[in-house]
Formats: sequence, C-alpha cells, structure tokens
Amino acid sequence: MVAGTSILPSCSDSFLEEDMVTSLSTQHFTTAEGLDELSTGMYQHLRFQFNYEWAYSMTQYGTDEFSTGGDRTWALWNTYQADLNSETWHVGDWWNNIYGNINSANIMIANVPRYYGDLPARDTRLGEAHFMRAYNYFRLVRQFGGVPLKLNPSNSVELEFRRNSEEEVFEQVIADFNKAWELLPAAPEQTGRITKWAAAHFLAKAYLTRASELYEGWNGATKQADLENAVLFADRVINESPHTLADDFRDLWHYTKPNDVNETNPEIILAAQFSDNTATQGRFGNQIHLYYPSVYQNLPGMQRDIPGGREFQRLRSTNYAMDVYDRVNDSRFWKSFKTVYSSNRPGTAPVWEEGYAPSPELVGEPRFAGGEVAIKYIVNNAGDNRYTQDNIKFEAPHTFVRYFDGEAESFTSITGNYEASRWVALSKFMDGSRSSVASQFGRRDGILARLAETYLIAAEAHGRLGDFSAALPYINEVRARAAYKEGEDRSYYSDGGLAYINNEAVNQDAFNSYSDKNTYYESNNIATELTDATSSALVFGSVADIFASDAEFYDYVGANSDEEKFIHFILNERSRELMGEMLRWEDLARTKTLVVRATRFNDEAQPDPNKHYYRPLPQSYLDGIRWDGQNLTPEQKQQEQNPGY
Amino acid sequence: MNKKLREVPQTSRRASFGGRFFRLVLLGMVFLWGALGSLEAQGRAISGTVTDTQGFPMPGVNITVKESPGVGVITDIDGKYQITAPNDNAVLVYSFIGFQVEEISVSGRSVIDVILMEDMLGLEEVVVVGYGVQRRSDLTGALSSVSSEEIQRMPVANMAQAIQGRASGIDITSNERPGESGTIRIRGQRSLTASSDPLYVVDGIPLASKDAINNINPADIESIDILKDASSTAIYGSRGANGVILVTTKRAKKDALSMNYRGTLTIEKMYDRMEMMNSADYIEFRRDAYRTAGSYPDVPTRDADLAIFGMDDYAWANIEQGWAGGSWDGSRVSTTDWTDMVTRTALTQEHNLSVSGGSDNVLAYGSFGYLNQEGTQLGQEFERFSTNLNVEVTPVDWFKYGASVNASSSMQEYGFDSTSPSGARSLYAAALGMLPYAVPFDDNGDRINLPGGDVNILNPIGDEKYSIDERKTYRLLGSLFAEVNLMEGLRYRMNFGPDYYQRNRGIYRDAMSMNRGGGEPGSTNYAQYSTDSRFSWTLDNLVYYNTSFDQHNLGLTFLQTATSNRTETSQMTAENLPWNAQKWHQLNSVSALSGFGTNLVETTMTSYMGRVNYGFADKYLLTASARWDGASQLAEGNKWDFFPSAALAWRLEQEDFLAGVHWVNQLKARVGVGTTGNSAIGAYQTLGAITQLYYTWGESVDGGYVSSDASLATPNPMANQDLGWEKTTQWNLGVDFSFLNSTINGSLDVYTSRTSDLLMRMGIPALTGYTTTFANVGETSNKGIDLNLNTYNFRGRDFSWTTDLVFSANRDKIEELSMGKVDDINNLWFIGERLAVGYDYLFDGIWQDTPEDLAEMAKFNANGHAFQPGSIRVKDLDGDYQIDPDNDRGIVGHSAPSWTAGLTNTFTYKNWDFSFFIYSRWNFMVETGAERLQGRFAQRKVNYWTPDNPSTEYPRPNYNNFDGDVYRTSMNYQDGSFIKLRNVSLGYNLPANVASRLGISNMKVFGQLMNPGLLYSKIDWIDPDLGGSTFNRGVVFGVNIGF
Repeated sequence: MVAGTSILPSCSDSFLEEDMVTSLSTQHFTTAEGLDELSTGMYQHLRFQFNYEWAYSMTQYGTDEFSTGGDRTWALWNTYQADLNSETWHVGDWWNNIYGNINSANIMIANVPRYYGDLPARDTRLGEAHFMRAYNYFRLVRQFGGVPLKLNPSNSVELEFRRNSEEEVFEQVIADFNKAWELLPAAPEQTGRITKWAAAHFLAKAYLTRASELYEGWNGATKQADLENAVLFADRVINESPHTLADDFRDLWHYTKPNDVNETNPEIILAAQFSDNTATQGRFGNQIHLYYPSVYQNLPGMQRDIPGGREFQRLRSTNYAMDVYDRVNDSRFWKSFKTVYSSNRPGTAPVWEEGYAPSPELVGEPRFAGGEVAIKYIVNNAGDNRYTQDNIKFEAPHTFVRYFDGEAESFTSITGNYEASRWVALSKFMDGSRSSVASQFGRRDGILARLAETYLIAAEAHGRLGDFSAALPYINEVRARAAYKEGEDRSYYSDGGLAYINNEAVNQDAFNSYSDKNTYYESNNIATELTDATSSALVFGSVADIFASDAEFYDYVGANSDEEKFIHFILNERSRELMGEMLRWEDLARTKTLVVRATRFNDEAQPDPNKHYYRPLPQSYLDGIRWDGQNLTPEQKQQEQNPGY
Repeated sequence: MNKKLREVPQTSRRASFGGRFFRLVLLGMVFLWGALGSLEAQGRAISGTVTDTQGFPMPGVNITVKESPGVGVITDIDGKYQITAPNDNAVLVYSFIGFQVEEISVSGRSVIDVILMEDMLGLEEVVVVGYGVQRRSDLTGALSSVSSEEIQRMPVANMAQAIQGRASGIDITSNERPGESGTIRIRGQRSLTASSDPLYVVDGIPLASKDAINNINPADIESIDILKDASSTAIYGSRGANGVILVTTKRAKKDALSMNYRGTLTIEKMYDRMEMMNSADYIEFRRDAYRTAGSYPDVPTRDADLAIFGMDDYAWANIEQGWAGGSWDGSRVSTTDWTDMVTRTALTQEHNLSVSGGSDNVLAYGSFGYLNQEGTQLGQEFERFSTNLNVEVTPVDWFKYGASVNASSSMQEYGFDSTSPSGARSLYAAALGMLPYAVPFDDNGDRINLPGGDVNILNPIGDEKYSIDERKTYRLLGSLFAEVNLMEGLRYRMNFGPDYYQRNRGIYRDAMSMNRGGGEPGSTNYAQYSTDSRFSWTLDNLVYYNTSFDQHNLGLTFLQTATSNRTETSQMTAENLPWNAQKWHQLNSVSALSGFGTNLVETTMTSYMGRVNYGFADKYLLTASARWDGASQLAEGNKWDFFPSAALAWRLEQEDFLAGVHWVNQLKARVGVGTTGNSAIGAYQTLGAITQLYYTWGESVDGGYVSSDASLATPNPMANQDLGWEKTTQWNLGVDFSFLNSTINGSLDVYTSRTSDLLMRMGIPALTGYTTTFANVGETSNKGIDLNLNTYNFRGRDFSWTTDLVFSANRDKIEELSMGKVDDINNLWFIGERLAVGYDYLFDGIWQDTPEDLAEMAKFNANGHAFQPGSIRVKDLDGDYQIDPDNDRGIVGHSAPSWTAGLTNTFTYKNWDFSFFIYSRWNFMVETGAERLQGRFAQRKVNYWTPDNPSTEYPRPNYNNFDGDVYRTSMNYQDGSFIKLRNVSLGYNLPANVASRLGISNMKVFGQLMNPGLLYSKIDWIDPDLGGSTFNRGVVFGVNIGF
C-alpha cells in the first residue's frame, strides 16, 4: 500500500478553487462583447407582454372591450373584486420582471461609457438601454402611479426604497425616451431592433399620457408643451420615418408562417420577436393566442385543432366591442373577429330533428359534412326579427345569434344565445404555426407599436389642444385604410390559424376547423353582394361628423361637451383600430374614463373610482423594504400603498 | 351505468423470474413450519437448561459456584448443564458475554432452568462514532442506535422507514410512493433555506448526497448510529450541523460460518379518509354554485340542468335518470367509482440471502437482496437488486486490509405526475378530480376524453399506460482501507471511498396521456431522456495512538481528508415522435429536439482534524476535538473555518458512594459542547452566474445574457462575495441510566443550540434586479429533549413484556434575521417564532344572514369589502372594519411538530413473540382544508353555506368565483397531531432442536399488520402522517432462516 506517501492533494489552495465552466459571470458585462449580449438578453424582456397571463389580465380585463369568459381563473382583474389586492400574483410578477429589465438597462447605461470603447454600436447600445428604462418606467407609472426610481445597478443587497412621485417618474421616462431618440439609429441593424422611430412613438405617447386627465392634479405646468411635443414626435414618425400604414388592415394579421411578411410590414414600429426555433424559445413563447378564443371543441361535429387554437376562453368580447364598429362599412370588425368554423369531426355532427329538417328524408342525417360550416356567429343588432330560439334549429350549423327577435339591446348582459363560453372571438393573435394543439408556445411576433396608433396619438393631442380640425386628417388616414376597397370580397375571412397550411404538424388531408368565410352578409342582413368602396362612409368630411358618428355612445357614457365627446370618440376609434392589443386599461385609466366605461359596457366590472385607477403595489415590495433600517409599520405600508388597498 | 366501467388492463410488469423462484421457496418454508409441533427439554438434580428470552437454548454459558470461582462448567449445544453444588445454600453464577450475569441460590433444588437477559445496555458493546469506534460505556456524546434486529422487525424498503420512531431526536416524515423516502430531521431544523439533511456516512465514508437511503438494502445494515449532539458531530465539522447518520453494513464474525435467508411478502391496499361528493350531492352543489351566480332557478328543472350539465352526452344520460320520473330524484343518478379504476392490491416481495465466514486472518461476508414493490396506485413500482460484499484480511499481525462494496441497481416506475403545477400529482389524485356523475367509457368501450365535457377535466383512466417515468439508478459505494500497526498503540490507516452514482431517467407521455391532451385531437407524444452521473471520492489519512498508564487511558486521532464531487447531467426532450414504441430510446427520430442541455458541477472540500479521548479510572471521560474545513463553494477568503468540540462524562456508578446502591446499575452524566457548520449551498453561488436568454432577429437566433430573469421559475440569485459558513453551537446535557437490575434503562438528553450566520436564500426587493440572494444572515436557536426508555415490565420463564419508548421534543426559533430583530414577512420569517410558519388571515367562521352579522358586514362593506351571508369571516385584528394584509394577518401555525414519540411493546411467550408499534407526531400544522367551491370541479364532501343551510364551516359556493372566497386560504391551517398504530406483528421461532433436525440453526416465521390506522387525529379527511388523504394498509408474511 502506498501508505505514508499517499496523496495529499488537498494541501494546495488550488484544490478548493471553484472553476465555473458552465456559465459566464457578471464580469462578462464589462466587455464590449458582453454588453452586446446584454443588449440581446434585454430584448427578451419585450416578450414579457406576450409571455403568460400577466399582460392581458392587467390591460384587457375590466375594460369596456372584454369581460370574463368561461374560464374565470383571473376574473378578479375583470370584476375588481376584493382579491384584486397587493397579494395577487400578477402585480408582483409584473413588478419583479419590469425592475429586472430596468436593472439590465442600468448596467448598460453604467458600463457602456466605461467598457464599450468607441465601437460603432456604442450609441445604439446606450440608446437601447435608455429606451428600455423609459419603456419600463412608463409601464410601471401607468399601472401603479409613482414608483421608486432606481437608476443605477445594484451590486449588493439594497433594502431602503421609497416611492418617487408620479411626476418624477414621468420626468425620468421622458428624459430617457428623449435620450433614446437622440442616440438610436433610424434603421435597425437587425430585424426587431429598436429604432429612433420607436423612441419617438413612445415619447409622443408618454407626453400625451402625462397630459391626460388622471394627472390633472399636477400636470398643469407641462400640459400644453406635452401635447405639442406629442404632436411633434408623432409627426416625426409619420412624416420622417420609413413607416407607412399597411395597405389593408388584414395585412397585419394575415399570418401564414413564422416570420411571415406580415411581421415586417412597414406599419410595425416595434414588435417582440418570436420564432419557430423551439430550442431557444424560452419558457413561454407568445401565449396570447390562448386567451381570446371561445370554445368550439365541444360542439358536436367539432374538435380542437391547430388552426382553431386552444381555447383558454378568458376574454369574452362585450357587446360594446361589436357595436363600436360600423359593421357594414368598417372592415376592421370582420378582420379582427372570427364568426365561422368548419366541421373537422363530421362523425359526431348533429343530426336533423324532425320538423326542422329541410326535407323529411333527412331526419336523423348529419346536418353538415366535414369541411362545411359547422358553427356560425350572427352579429346582428337588437330589433332584428329573423331569429328565435326555435327557428335556429332550421339552420344546419350550430348557430349563435346575438339578438333574438324581440330582445332588447343591452351593453351589460350576454344576449341571444351567446354565453360564457360562446362569443365572437378576437382573432388577431391566432397562431396556426404551433407544433401541436396543446402547445402554448406561440410563434408570432407581438406588436408593441404600430403606426396607426401614432396617428391616433397625434389626433388625440391635436384634439386636446382644442384643434379638432387638425385632428381630422390623422383620423381620416386611419379610417380610410379601415374601409372596404372597391371590389373587395367582404365575405372572405382570414386569421393566423391559416398558418396551418405551412405547418408540418398538421395533416393537410384531414378536415380542420379553419374557414375563410365570415357571416358578413347574413349578420348584416344584406342579400346582394356589395362591391363598392366604403371609404366615403368612414372618412369624415368635417369635425361635426366626428360628433355625429358615435352619438349613441356619448349619451350613454354621459359625455356632453365637445372635449368630452372627442375623448370618447378617440377611445372608440382606438377600440376599432387597436381592439384587444393590450393597451386598453391604460387608455381608460389615463383618461379617467375607466369607471364609467367599464361599468356601462362590461357586465361584470365594478371598479371603485377611489381605488381602481391604480393597481396595488405588491405586498412583497411593502414587506421587503426598510425605512431607516426598520421594517415598515402597518401605517407606513398603507402610506406607501395606493389608496384603498 | 356500471356495465360501461370496463376493467382496465394492468401494466404487465410483474415479478421477474428471480422473484417467482423466491416466492416458491417462501411458500415451501411456510408449509414446513405448519407441519411441526413444539418440543421441550427436561433436566436432573442440579442440572438444567439455559435459554435466552426468546427461548433459544444457549450453548457455552459459563456457570460457576460463587463461593469457589475456580469451579465451573459450560452449557452444551442444547443449553444443558450439570454441576455439583457444594451445599444447598450455594449460589450459582451464570454468565455469558452480552448478557446480564444471573446469581441464583440453589435453595435445595435439583433442577434450575435459567433465562439469561440480554444486556440491554450493552455496556461493553462497541458503537461507531466518527472516525472510529468506542465502547458504549465510554461515550461522552449523545447518540442513538438502531440495531439490525430492530431494522428487520418491520419489512422496510429503505433506511428512513427503519429509523422512524426507533431513535429519539429524529423526526421522519412518511412517503408511500415506491422508491421514495421521507425527509429526516435530527433535532429539528436549524437552517432557513440551506439544507437541513443530515450527513450520511456509510462504512466510514461520508456521502455526497442523501440519495443513498434508497439504494442501500436495509437488510445489509448491521447498525445505524445517529450522532445528535455537536460534541459528537463536530468531528465532521462543516458537514455535521444537521446530525450524522452512521451506517455500518454487515460483516463476518470471527470463527463463525453462517448463511441466512429472509423473505417477506407484503399485500397492501390503499384507503382514503376523504369522502367525495356523490352524484346527487354534487349535482345539488353545482346548482347551488350557479344559484349564487344568479344563473340557476331555486327549483331545479331539467332544462336548467341541461344548461349546466349537458356538455357530455354520456354524463347527461346519467343525470337524466334523476329526471326519469318527471321530478328530480338525485338518488337515481349513479356515481362512478373513479378511484377504484386506478388502484390495485399491491404485492411487495423481498428476499435476502447472506453468507459469512471468518477465520483469524480472513473475514468475508456477502449478500444478495431483491426487492420488488408494487404501488397501490397503478403505474408505480420499485425494483431493486443489491449486493454487499466485504472482506477483511490480516496477513500479518501488523497489517490489515479491507474492502467493502455495496452495489445496487434499481428501477423505479415513478408513475403519473402532472406537468402543470395545478394538476394532480398522482393518478389517484387525478381520478379523485373526476366528476362523480360522469362516466369513463362510451358505448363502444372507448375512453371518453372529457368526461363531463369540461375542457380542463381529462379522463385519467388508463393513464398508467400512457404516462411513464422510469428512473434507473446504479450505485456503487466502496470503502477500502489499509491499516498498519506502526508500534504498540500507534496505527496508521488510510480510507478511500469511491462513490459512483448513475441515474438514467426516461419520461414518455403518449398522446393519449392527460398531460399531452388526453388523446383529444392535436395531442402529441413527448419523450425526455436525462442522465445524472456523479463520481465522488473521499480520501482519509488517519493516525491513531492509544495508550494507558496507571488509571489513565488516552486515545489520540489525527485526520487529513479530501473530498471531491463531480456531477454531470444531460437532458434531451422531443415532441411529436413518429412512433410510440420507441419511448425515449430513439430521439433522433425527430428532425429537431425541442430541448437539450448538459451541465457540470464540481465541488471539493478538504479538512484537518485532531481528537483526544482521555479517561481516568473509568470514571471520568473526556473527548475533545478540533477540525478545520475548507469548501470550494464558499467565497475566496471565507472558505476555511474552525470547528471545536469538547465533552465530559462521569460514570457515577463507578464511584464508591454508589457502590452500595444496588438498584443503580449504571448512571452516567454527560455534558458536551461543539460547533458545527453547514455549507450545503450549491456550487458557484459566489461567482455571479448570469442567465442566458435567446432572442431572434427576424429568423436569426442570437444568444444574449442578463444578470437575472424574474420570469424564470428560479431566477438567478444575486451573487454574494462574502458567503461563509453557517455555524451551529450546541450544548448537550445527558444522562444514561440503568436501574433495578437493569429493568429500566435509558438515556435522557437536553440540548440547546444556536445557529448563526444563517445561509439563506432570501427574497430581496426586485428593484435590485434580483429577487433573491444567498447571504449569511440571522440566527436561529433550538432546544429540546430526547428520551430513550427501555423497560422490562415483566419477565418470567415463558413470558416477558418489554417496552421501548422514544420521545423527542424540539422547539426551533428564529432569533435574528438579516436586519437584526426585524421580521421578514416576504419569506414568512418572524422573530421569536418557529422556522416554518403559516401566515395568513385568521378564519373566524362564516357570515350569517342575521341582523347582527348584517350590521357588521355593512360596516366592512362601507370600506370596500363585499361580504355577504355565506362569505368567509376573518378576524379584523385592528378593529378598523377593513381587512388588510398589513394589519390583519397573523401566524397560523408551524409545520414542525412540538414532539414526536414512538412506543414499541413486545411480548414473548415461549416461542411466540408479539409486538406493536405506535407512532405519534404532535402539534404541527398541515396546510389543507381550503376549498374553492366554484362548482366546476369535483368536490370533497363539506358542509357549505346556502340560504337554507346556514353552515358555519364552509362558505357559499359561487360559480363566478374561480378562486373561491377571497379569504379561502384562511381555512387552510389544521392541527395535524396524530397517534398512529403503525404495525402489529406476531412471530414464531422454531425450537432449536426441531431446527437442528431440519439442518438449520434457527428459523422464524412472522406475520404483520402494516398501518392498521390512526388511533387519533384532529383532521378527519387526511392522514396527517402522510399529508394526503390516502394511506396504504396491508399484511406482511415473512420467514427468517439461519443455516
């Protein structure tokens, strides 16, 4: 045996040295290469908006556009019930994720001047960081009001934090967006990178937001200049950038494969990038495709499939979401909502009942075959006398009618035979390119800013400056694009489910639920095909037309003055254009119309005007911070918390 | 409807060929035993038989006449003796090593049969301590031992089960999934987030992780010694803070050849303490939930039922039977017994064969063990082959070499486990989640994927075939030593302990499995293959020096040791595999993997230790040790630390003043103090690892990094460059005693410890960019009492009764946290409270529709609440009529028990023995009881509030409330105290003469009732021992044969 001489490897210090080969350390961020990679890592956070259930519940629930569907998991965000409080997961998740990205931006802002040298991308890196910091504080301030401003990276545990005022946070947001505007390039190095036009868009939006009603208590000094700046920066994007409105509203949503042309449409100013690279897709993917669809899979003759999507049935469109459109002339409704499904499981199709079959010999025979229309949603108006509970049994497809004969119009209840799981679903996010029906990993990009919104920002700013006629051309640009073009087939429909045609995971020979038809003609009760352009019906000739257009809503929400009517008009136009694009709650909150619009148009939302214009600060923040080395007392926590929570 | 409930074919993996063979052997043995009767021996004048308490004759017992010690005889092979006594009043002395000496007066008799009691204290018995052995009488620290006899008393699948309730100071939870074991805590928990697992040392080699518990065959264990106090564990320095479990495997004894076979067969079934709503109850319950939501009429109608139950034709057909008579009669709706379709009567068989032999120069032992355990839930199974070989050679008197190898190969069918955090964790739980009125199969016998029609309630029947999680583990644990006697009293020893662990895990989920969509269109299959391989080694250089002079005994030990661990892991995942039969064995059949990765973790440690044992006159004993440890995972500059200990013992019975006190057989007082450490944090925590994230620019993928990503399941913690050791200093005061002719024996220890510089993963404000960090902060304390008591309540010739009691009480407490004496609410840590507590609103009943309650509610509702009759009422602690998290939450319980106890009573009568074992854990919180009561999912039967049933137990169901009542979680804290009768066993020993006629030296057959049930529990819907509602109950048959 090698007794006494036996190995004593341990004597040397090197035996205890740790050698981490599987990961890089934060030291990496002190090199130019590391900072480039930090920038890439930072972009990943743009996906957060589309990652999970955070964003839609905090931006779409509890508004006029959408209410709770058959799955009530996050209904508290819609109803404003008592458990919408500081312990609700989402507020903590939202907060933690956003501050995490702010930290990345802070590292970048601190390290680029010291370590990046004079490489060509220096300004871009800095500009991206300023944009990210501004973008994130902007999101925080709109949800929570004033939040603590943390502007330098942390290298050790820090616990002493206090909220800054709303005013200070806005100042920081605007300063950072301005820096980003100065530093960022006009053309991106790579698809998806932030440009100065994105900075300008958000800067215009930040100015407009600060000039909105919610901040009336303190924004008097900056309001006029802010509105002028909003116009200035919006105009820069509209006039100076390469961005133009898509020719057809459909072009934005007509998705046939990952990274399809719709994702590089010049209208898109900034989009979170997703792709079909599964190994690098991260933890979530774009999940928004899950939340809007209503349930189709359990109707006889139907089953789930990739183009139809996996129905999490969270967001049920309200009657407002349908009635805000001129559904005869405004193509945006029919390009945003799905009304027809084909039968993909003919073996279980329902059969004709006696007395309702088209002919006696068909009794007991399937009402439809595979590929034929199996489900149709009729989006009609109250007063339509064509449908009754009984006579829809004459229809071959499952027929869901918004208003039966004799039923009164209602904005705060589910009407016809629509129900908690059956509604006309928003289809902007449908994703037929996923690897399986069950896959939550959506592959479509998520739009964060597009030019139509820039137009509406400029229009709103002009209107708020009192110059409605200056707003008119901007509004008309957007509405002209929304109109049907001459010869356009109004019964044609498409959504992102169409990507099934290029999807290897889909058996192309089998029936699927996708239909390229809508119920335009039946819903509108129009017998003959229409081919004329409708721009003349949508484009306003004068300011007076604005106030004439949404007249029934103005009374309903109690808007009297032109100023009030104009704000409500803009909100309606934003709905028509940006329906479901996860901007709504913040728009209603900043304009202080949340309570009136949510209670008047949403059957479940009961926001409290003294409380619900702001979200609760997460309890983990209040419990985790110290003031002068001490935990906060309950009184101090309440002082730090938003009122009412 | 029952005809639709088809029998589901069980998975076909049955006992292997070896198992079947053993089963036959076992049956043969049982048959033999039945054919034989018992026989007894006779004696003559001053003659007799010496037997042990179990009735075995004892050969070789020394018998002398007290008056003339030189005269003596020994008993023959049958325990018989003859001796001539000098006179009628002579006193005979019977002695045998390991047994108590008996002195018996002849008193004119000519036949004297004697039963010798085993020396329970085993004062001369040698016990294993860190880096050596000691006589029990010389111990200065607190130690619990479990012998192989105790381990074998119950058929146990792993070490944790063997220790549970057998040794004081140790709290072990239960886990019934085959191949899994509970958690072990020695003297409570000290650490808040660093590991609280004890250190396992097998044959002198400290193991890198606790997974050895499942890999070592309990039948190969000779003894388990548990070091509890810091004066004993400090010898393991930085690794000793959570106690040390020393496992010694069996080895040969000198001059004995033996062969042993032991086999058991266990038959188990699952029982459930929870009652689910039957169809009639459930239908009414869902109606109530919809009524609250305003969408169901007060009086049930068929149409209204159709609207809320009509999604699935088969389920609706069942409900329609309730309307068959025109009016509603819920009793006509049948209830599907879902759980019956996922459970089975499970068989477990275990076989162990061991051989050993030894001469003066060579000792050799070998064993083979086989365990095949079926789970009571379909799809769960555990099979283990194990072998233990050891040999010790002493070629010359100054040199000794030994090697032992423990090898095992096991395969665990883990069974169903949901991938979603909200999903059922087991097949049984998934079956419990099924709607009672729905049915599993359609008229063609095909599975209905969504019974009841809810898209989130998938049919689990048959999922054991579709959801496979197979974990194969290979383990090789070696211990090699060479020892040289350099001179009288001076030895050098080298230990080398390699430990190789390999686990291959394959997961396959068929498209038909619940986790993959249950066969609904678009469901895809999924496979994952992962490997874990770890190689660790420990190398000890030890020098021992022992000497004695006059009345002084001195022992010195010096150690230098180094340990290294290297773990490599890999994993790959694929979806949508082109054919099912490949499971995870051909992942290249997909064009692109959906996930893959590899990883490497290395840690090293090195230490120096010195120890002195000093004894004076066998009365005063001193042990002192010092250890220096360095660990790689701590930050530069903080890697090394020093851990001292000292202990004193005083054997009072050796003192003259107790010499005349005959009822005291032993009395030893001990006091010890020591410091131990805990570095049980992962590697690289001080280095600031960053998180890789990918982003795509259009189509091109780019790798990027951030310091930490809060959207991940476990975001990177903030690096801490100052991370050092967590240290525990413990005082222990103990007494070992034996009274009244050794009929009462035991030990009592009280201890107090303080743990400082706690290594904590603590939540920090996200404004720092991180949500957590590891830090040395705070302080906890622990105090407790451990009692071991063994008593002979009765002993006679044919009958004896003994009781073993272990009792442990422990109270841990948080003394300080990161900011001093300031609570950390985010992490639920509160100064002066237990370490693991619940913190929530305090349940105060249900609001009622009474004028008083309505008036009270109005005051709350004026402050923004929405209380209604039927809502949960919680305490408004500050009385401001506003329930808020800052003022109205409080501590609702702690999850560690106040005390635990195990009580074993053993009765022997002639060749029979009978024993039962009772186990109790007292005063701990179990988080269960809150119910969502939405009316959408299956529901435990509870007394909920409705306008007609003003219950005070559970709130009103509400279909609009997915998450249930706002204050639902306040109902989640229950006192889990329980007393459980864990087993009852009966054994029969074949008389020695019969055995020898059969050519065997001894044989025992036994039967046992496992888990007869709870004798006491405050919660009636779960088994608080297990934390869930179900438990397994069964019977065991076994045989033990020595050749």
